[in-house]
Amino acid sequence: MRESQTAVLERGLELTGECATEPFETPWAAEARWFVQFLEPGRGTVSLRTQISADGLTWVDHENAPVNGEAAGILTAPVRDFGHWLRLVVTPAEGTVAPLVRIVLSLKE
Amino acid sequence: MTTPAQPADTAAALRDAIRSSDPQLSKFRPLPRILAHDDFDTGLHGWVELGGNYNGKGEYGSLDRHFRDFRPPQLSSCNFFDVGTHGAMSGTYALKLATRPHPGHTATGIRRLTMSGRGLLQIEAYLAYKAEAVVDPDAEDGFGDMEWDGNRHPSEAQFGAFTVATDLCGDDGVRYHTVVRYQNADEQGNMLRQWRYPVVPEPTPREHYEGKVDYPYATDFTAPNPEDWRTYGQPQELCMNEVPTKVNWHYLRWVIDTERRKNVEVQLNDRLMDWSEVPVPIYDDRYGSLENLLNFYFSVRTLSGQRNFLYLDSVVISADW
Repeated sequence: MRESQTAVLERGLELTGECATEPFETPWAAEARWFVQFLEPGRGTVSLRTQISADGLTWVDHENAPVNGEAAGILTAPVRDFGHWLRLVVTPAEGTVAPLVRIVLSLKE
Repeated sequence: MTTPAQPADTAAALRDAIRSSDPQLSKFRPLPRILAHDDFDTGLHGWVELGGNYNGKGEYGSLDRHFRDFRPPQLSSCNFFDVGTHGAMSGTYALKLATRPHPGHTATGIRRLTMSGRGLLQIEAYLAYKAEAVVDPDAEDGFGDMEWDGNRHPSEAQFGAFTVATDLCGDDGVRYHTVVRYQNADEQGNMLRQWRYPVVPEPTPREHYEGKVDYPYATDFTAPNPEDWRTYGQPQELCMNEVPTKVNWHYLRWVIDTERRKNVEVQLNDRLMDWSEVPVPIYDDRYGSLENLLNFYFSVRTLSGQRNFLYLDSVVISADW
């Protein structure tokens, strides 16, 4: 069986400006997918950017293009070929309202 | 052929002999029945973030504020900026609990079982604790009692506390916790290195629902009032090993008695502590839905606001029933 893990990294985030998830170690995983779920009605758009790190301290954008979308429902973004740490940077467009957001990282060997 | 005069002794001797030839188990001293042997090279083994209780609609707002953000455990290869992958005591991976960089924040990992008997119950672990490394030319070279001098390092004073505890219930809803905490330093970085225990049971979501308690984010969920904690014995210095990127594994062993609802003893490396007189407060009210509850949790709490980490190489839970 392949190892897997689902990590709920944010469950009550109020998106008022750009934010990054806490560093998460993923050395054992080959593939990952972000789920950003907007739990209450809002408005505006957000951009999702995966960042990678070799040490959990210094971060650089992954080669994947950012995922952009409405702040509603679920936005999702896959990522492969990362270093041993992952985080997601969520950037709301000006005027965006996203009162309650859950961010989940799904990992597979 | 002769019949052994003491068959039980023979069985114990055989168990010891077999265990001593097993490199994974010979570093432990389990009671006769091993309930769990969790080597994190093979996954999470059921250690999960402690989640608070929520209502029938699954609404976020129904969670206690101080129970909402205990962080998911990570399978860590103990990766650091200076040496790369440090690795665990055995194999590559350890279970890592990581706080946010927020004073008072706690990260947890809980293991959920039930009891099929009563009597002695033991948890053993190889653990290491660290504050997050800093790579910043503008950072301070000291914190609290610790000023960089080539041997001492500020990160040692930036680590708050780690805790191992239970949540136990049975015998018609009698619920109680046993708790062991190592309080390394306080908010100002004064080195304490004290063993501590609370004299009140942990506030529960039902007590919040009933309006009896309501705590803010980053409250010490195990026992919120600092005056409800007592110090056990003399301080014990552990092996933080100078900088935040060297991992030295410590042996922890803790025995409780679920027949008598008592602590028995705690061992950390070469310090063996008689905890039989350490009180175990039970809840006044009875709880449903929890018959034979047997949970162990580890937690780590930052007071400095620097991210604090607790690493577990492996854990063994055993019983004499």
